[in-house]
Amino acid sequence: MANILIVDDSSTMRKIISRSLRQAGLSVDEIYEAGDGIEGLNVIASGKTIGLILSDINMPNMDGLEFIKQVRANGNTVPVVMITTEGGEEIIKEAMSNGASDSIKKPFTPDQLQEKLGKLL
Amino acid sequence: MSLDASTTTFTVEQLATYVIEATREVFSTMVMMDPIDDYPLKEPVKRFKCSITGMVGFAGIYSGVISIHCPLDLALKMTSNMLGMECEEVNEDLNDAIGEIANMLGGNIKQVLSKGGLDVKLSIPTVIVGEDYTVNSLSDSDCVVIPFHIDDNRFIVGLTLTKED
Repeated sequence: MANILIVDDSSTMRKIISRSLRQAGLSVDEIYEAGDGIEGLNVIASGKTIGLILSDINMPNMDGLEFIKQVRANGNTVPVVMITTEGGEEIIKEAMSNGASDSIKKPFTPDQLQEKLGKLL
Repeated sequence: MSLDASTTTFTVEQLATYVIEATREVFSTMVMMDPIDDYPLKEPVKRFKCSITGMVGFAGIYSGVISIHCPLDLALKMTSNMLGMECEEVNEDLNDAIGEIANMLGGNIKQVLSKGGLDVKLSIPTVIVGEDYTVNSLSDSDCVVIPFHIDDNRFIVGLTLTKED
């Protein structure tokens, strides 16, 4: 069982992702939420054990590309999967070069979530 | 006929098809509803009553706005479906849900406009809600306006687009 951090500026999307994780039958323990990259870094800095991060890209204050760069700059190797409407090849390439493990395009189904995340949990 | 925005690439008919496909995908996957599209409107609808509007802007090689305009009672049903819990009043959940629908529609259209994802930027969503308001575009861009219906409820998705030099 892993604790998961969801970083997305939409509270609706955070709820949908949380529900989809449970529906997909993934081994999820606690789910923590953050509204942007800065809040996400604060959750990590608070010392909570995180087994997987799901992050949006297009967010105010600190976007997902900068967030993952900061996560890796701190030496954290936790898997980070981008869940985003930004499905373009170059932007995903940039996310991967910043240290993302994989990406999922919104909108998604619980089955698509299970397929991508099952191997990371 | 082609959009001023898209003389080199997209016809109005193509853009209308992209809007319809994006709307159907977002609604069937995230809203658990299956809207049916009606004939495109020739002019944008500017005045709304007891409605909510979600908008996301494009900037880069294309600029423009994609917007969804819903009567409040339908928007409340959509939000309830997305959240898996009853939403019965105008609140942050409603604003956020409609903003996120606009965001997903924008992301879907961006994939058509952008080759790799970096040459077109999406704005953070804007949401307007009110008993009587107007939405005007100050640009002279052409647009596609697609009405949809779900049972007896109607909503509109509009796309305004300009190709930048």
